[in-house]
Amino acid sequence: MQPDYLVVSGADKRFGAATVLRDLSLSVAQGEFVSLLGPSGCGKTTLLRCIAGLLHPDRGRITVGGRDITALAAHQRNVGVVFQNYALFPHLTVAENIAFGLRARGISKAEAEPRVAEALALVRMEAHGEKPVTALSGGQQQRVAVARALVVRPSLLLLDEPFSALDRKLRETMQVELKQLLREVGITAIFVTHDQEEALVVSDRVAVMNAGQIEQLTDPVTLYHAPTSLYVLDFVGQSTKLSGKVLGSRDGMIEVQTGFGVLRASASFMAGSSVAVAVRPEAMVLAPETDAALNTLQGRISDISFLGSRTQIHLDAPAETEDRVILELSRLPAGLTTGQEVSFGFRITDTMAFPA
Amino acid sequence: MMAPASTGRKLDPLAFLALPGLIFMALVFLGPLLLMLWSSIYGAEGFTVSGYARVLGDDYYIKVIGQTLQLALITTVGALILGYPAAFALARAKGWRQVVLFALVFLPLTVSIIVKSFGWGIVLRRDGILNWLMLNLGLIERPIRMIFTEFALYAGMINVFLPFMVLPIYSVVRMMDPRLPDAAATLGASPWFRFTRVTLPLSLPGVVAGVSIVFSLAVAAYVTPSLLMGDRYMTMSMVMAKAFLNLRDWQLGAAMAAVLLTLAVVVVIGAAILQRRLGTAKGS
Repeated sequence: MQPDYLVVSGADKRFGAATVLRDLSLSVAQGEFVSLLGPSGCGKTTLLRCIAGLLHPDRGRITVGGRDITALAAHQRNVGVVFQNYALFPHLTVAENIAFGLRARGISKAEAEPRVAEALALVRMEAHGEKPVTALSGGQQQRVAVARALVVRPSLLLLDEPFSALDRKLRETMQVELKQLLREVGITAIFVTHDQEEALVVSDRVAVMNAGQIEQLTDPVTLYHAPTSLYVLDFVGQSTKLSGKVLGSRDGMIEVQTGFGVLRASASFMAGSSVAVAVRPEAMVLAPETDAALNTLQGRISDISFLGSRTQIHLDAPAETEDRVILELSRLPAGLTTGQEVSFGFRITDTMAFPA
Repeated sequence: MMAPASTGRKLDPLAFLALPGLIFMALVFLGPLLLMLWSSIYGAEGFTVSGYARVLGDDYYIKVIGQTLQLALITTVGALILGYPAAFALARAKGWRQVVLFALVFLPLTVSIIVKSFGWGIVLRRDGILNWLMLNLGLIERPIRMIFTEFALYAGMINVFLPFMVLPIYSVVRMMDPRLPDAAATLGASPWFRFTRVTLPLSLPGVVAGVSIVFSLAVAAYVTPSLLMGDRYMTMSMVMAKAFLNLRDWQLGAAMAAVLLTLAVVVVIGAAILQRRLGTAKGS
């Protein structure tokens, strides 16, 4: 496995007055799955189109397997793309769609046939080769798009929001299915998505993008538990955020005054500075036993919402603050009512602090 | 919405919306058309095919038919060559650019065909604008004869009928997913392969519609050939006008009209069949 298989270095892209990519660099290992995650307008699709050769960066270099492809046109790059809504050719059958890339490479119809059959089998669409693509369901269209891109053995596969056209249930199945399929093939894949859950499911590493730059690039677990900025924290998963003032700092630990009480977090800030403290909902417990490893705070129940598999408890602070705490419990303790004063806690190691 | 299966072949209520139009067309088009076909085979001496015999037997009229077909063909091909890329530019342009392009293509439609044809006369005359321009630029030493040449005729015809080529192609291209050529490119297709295997086949319905419309209009053209060429280039419509208005030879005129109609219908139906064959059971 080559560690720096795909390398984008110092890429800039402007459209008129708007800078869409600014000095962006990215390195992906061979066989790795990386997601580009961010809201619309963050530059993720522009980056994908630059790697595909459908756009050319104003500055910077792109190499695949050590080969500089920056100046090459899309059809010279051998970079496969699965487009959003798939962009299948409506005037061709399923088999003709899959054969397209082979035919474009000058491979004869007869030579292409076994490879098309192989690709159809790979995505379990053997029975549908002669159908027009317009007769397929969304999930089948996605499989055809994947087979069409893979049959030419691209050096890299780019997927632009590949699941956005599917309904929720199908999306979850296809995410796992596609991930396993691409693993089997052993291809390097870049997913573009605005869906954080999808990014966490399908990728080895996630690049969270913000205003044309990569804000954080790391594995899903680190991204979820140790986001480096409030932007990443907000974009990935749910969290409760409390604003506070640093009372003191010692040995890489800070004490923070919040509306719900004093808590500790491992971070270094100057005493007196404003911070935002964040905790994931599943890290919180209700009425914890006294434990030096826990932050224990007080609040008053303002609402209890039953959500089926879990129950949310909304807490107001005893002090004057806008902050609210939301706890998620899998089982609701008996005798809990609104207006009740309760204590709640979370591990100090689960407490994240950011500059406010 | 759907009629129950038991009612069988009940007419869709929406079909009645077409009724006023159908009645109108039957009265002002179908009726006169049948009358004309009737008069092409029934004259003062009863039933006769002498009109057809003259039209299809006389070298002069065969030449007229040939000239008419040549004119229609060159006009159609010329309009296709100029109109096809223009339709793409129109479909892909954004904002004010598209407005300007639209105006350039369709404003000429608001100018009467007679004004346009006379306008070409002014441009192409011996002392016309084009000669004046080329003389002053030093491109030519003495005025060139352009009016009453076949070049003038083709230019004028293409000018008049170009919008009818652009519009149907534009409306098909506008609906085409612009990512399809992108997808083809990422699959390794060169620009030429992309055009011949993706863009062209998908734009074909518009091309077939445009070719049908322009050909059937051009094959019947009367005003533009009359004003730009006059008697030097007789077309079928001009023969018909002469037969009806000057010679009072209704059988000749009606027979020529029937031949013209047949030619136009054959081309339109042929184009429709071609389109269906090329798009057999694929696509939508």
